[in-house]
Amino acid sequence: MTASPSHLDLLESESIHIFREAAAQFRKPVLMYSIGKDSTVLLHLARKAFFPQAVPFPLLHVDTTWKFRDMIAFRDRTARELGLDLIVHTNEDGIRRGINPIDHAPSIHTDVLKTQALKQALDKYGFDAAFGGARRDEEASRAKERVFSFRASGHRWDPRKQRPEMWHLLNGRLGTGETVRVFPMSNWTEKDVWRYILREKLEVVPLYYAAERPTIVRNGQILMQDDERLQPRDGEKIEMRKIRFRTLGDYPLTAAVESNADTIEAVVAETINAQTSERQGRLIDHDQAGAMEKKKQEGYF
Amino acid sequence: MSVHALHKHEFSHKPQPHLEVVPNLVRELGGITHLLTCGSVDDGKSTLIGRLLWDASDLYEDQRENVRRSGRKAAGTDLPDFSMLLDGLVAEREQGITIDIAWKYFDTETRRFVIIDSPGHEQYTRNMASGASHADVAIVLVDARSGVKKQTKRHTAILDLVGVKHVVLAVNKMDLVGWSEDVFRKIEADFRTLCWKFNFWDATAIPLSAVFGDNVSAKSENMSWYTGPTLIQHLEKTPSRVSEAGSVFRFPVQTVLRDGQDFRGLAGTVTSGSVKVGDVLVDTLSNASGKVIRIATMDGDLENASAGQAIALQLDVDIDISRGAVLSTPEMRPVAAQTVEARFVWLSEDEFSPTAGYLLRTSTDLIPISNIEIKALLDLETMASRPARGCGANDIAIAKISLGRAAAIDVFAETPETGTLLLVDSVSGATMAGGIATAVNSKAEKPAEGHFVLKRDMLANGLNRDLSMSSSDREEFMRRANEVAIILRAAGVAVAIEPPPPVDDGMDPGL
Repeated sequence: MTASPSHLDLLESESIHIFREAAAQFRKPVLMYSIGKDSTVLLHLARKAFFPQAVPFPLLHVDTTWKFRDMIAFRDRTARELGLDLIVHTNEDGIRRGINPIDHAPSIHTDVLKTQALKQALDKYGFDAAFGGARRDEEASRAKERVFSFRASGHRWDPRKQRPEMWHLLNGRLGTGETVRVFPMSNWTEKDVWRYILREKLEVVPLYYAAERPTIVRNGQILMQDDERLQPRDGEKIEMRKIRFRTLGDYPLTAAVESNADTIEAVVAETINAQTSERQGRLIDHDQAGAMEKKKQEGYF
Repeated sequence: MSVHALHKHEFSHKPQPHLEVVPNLVRELGGITHLLTCGSVDDGKSTLIGRLLWDASDLYEDQRENVRRSGRKAAGTDLPDFSMLLDGLVAEREQGITIDIAWKYFDTETRRFVIIDSPGHEQYTRNMASGASHADVAIVLVDARSGVKKQTKRHTAILDLVGVKHVVLAVNKMDLVGWSEDVFRKIEADFRTLCWKFNFWDATAIPLSAVFGDNVSAKSENMSWYTGPTLIQHLEKTPSRVSEAGSVFRFPVQTVLRDGQDFRGLAGTVTSGSVKVGDVLVDTLSNASGKVIRIATMDGDLENASAGQAIALQLDVDIDISRGAVLSTPEMRPVAAQTVEARFVWLSEDEFSPTAGYLLRTSTDLIPISNIEIKALLDLETMASRPARGCGANDIAIAKISLGRAAAIDVFAETPETGTLLLVDSVSGATMAGGIATAVNSKAEKPAEGHFVLKRDMLANGLNRDLSMSSSDREEFMRRANEVAIILRAAGVAVAIEPPPPVDDGMDPGL
């Protein structure tokens, strides 16, 4: 008699089930790899779903050119060590136009270098399904998201075309021009992600652990000066602080927290005892009311 | 909780206090309970969910602070308005999603709870059925002043239809009836009478006040006559569907995994029962069977696996089993169904059309339907059926389906995990209806006049002449045959696919 499965065992099995359903039903899937902790878990689950076979689809990273340098190093090493097929796509047109997160509003930067870039990449390679690490607990507008989330042609999210999901039955038959976003971790919480990283001994980008780093305080948020493109403005100065990140994205748009948690155990403890929910560290969400919802309709995850 | 709640003054330059490493850090919870709440806003649904979150869950401090600081009070009291915790969820500005279900997660000391919230207003049948299909336990909320109503009857009928086994009647607003035991007992008796005709394993009534918190997580001091559990105590003890899955082994094959050498693993999730190395399994569609020699996972091979586990099974013979097969023991097989009788909740805005060309989705199979007829509609208040030929959104339809080829299906009442179905529009791909199999038959109906049979020879000589006899090509053969059947069906031709010849795998048929 085996012990009854824990909630993490159940979540893991559910995610594996979703990966296998999607891989069997869609012609050309891709895994959206954003390098952060959620992507790390997503990738690990994908490897489990198809073991001992190799992951049967490529990874896609939409590179805004503003990621932390540690993230890029981690991405390349992960792909190399696990023998994964990694596609990196950048919206070159947006870069030529000089769009950046320091001089432009986060909404413009995100639209051009993330949302448009993602659409370009999906169209360029003809992917009909894209796995993402989004979770329903992240944000109110995601609380109603489906596991198979359909996009009309042009990657538009049409609320009326979303399919009801009953029991464990996943209907992936596509209509003309439709593609789908697949969220195997829909039912995970932030705490689960960290507990699972600890349990499975997964390596994550070192930025999640506290260390002395050069910082600038801007609008009440701690930013890290990851390279010379971010410079102090009048009245600001560069100071060393012991910080870590709860989420990772474009470095000028990602706020750090002061912390002494420099081991996985300490980070998990800090997360479980956390007093605030994680998206407070993501500046793009505060940019405008209903920001996330709007981005979703435009084709951001 | 709004994400815009970041206040600058909350930012602190002080380093965080060094946190004690909490013991048992990984703290895996003892399981997941999916909780559906049924009732309208008037019954106090949001307040009850809010109260559950406030009393029993691991809310973030900023979420609690928001409620305290808002100054919003529950109607007629000086207590915080706990329904605020559902803001952006129940009261979310409408996204216009047709079937509208919100998911919310919280942990108690021992369990993960997933609150599945569907709107209580009209059009709720399809919303509620869709939400209830995921639920382990449902809270049916009634106002103590009005008791069991017509709506309560509809709610319980829907729960039963989609297979919920545990129901809690939350008799709310007991404070407004003077905490009266007589009032509660009368409602409890009505509820018991109502539940007799359904297949619930456990139906419990609890008197409570969501606003004041009586019997939600703390025992009520106002109702000393009540000796039963609080709502949270009761929910924590309620088992989940997966832990109560039946003992009959079922393994719908999702995909076949190969490592490029000699491994050929049938990947899937055990939906009920268990399997161990050495068991003989059979695919009821092809009659092929083999012995389990390996249960593979990335964390190492297993000796056995049970309901809910995602695994890959390697058999001792390389037989042609692929996606859509449901493995079982030779003695207790699903039916290789040619006809299915089912009850469907109609989900789509588009009405049923006898000529639309629907597909039937089972656990892992997608089958062309050669003929589908609506026989009757079910009245959820009386459970009486009346003859009908069509149906639309929110109807419960009794339908008879002839399949274009055999598919492994169970009767839902016996083996629910492999007795669920979706009706899919073959052109748009939309999910039209969700349903349960009430009867399955391996005998095909006598073909209707003009019934066209897609012969395998005909397909092999033309459309499929580029395919070999390898197992992946045979899968492709079937896929193309399905698609041809779908096109013909959409053109109004009743069609069936000639079944493949029986597999001769050299095994002793007595196995």
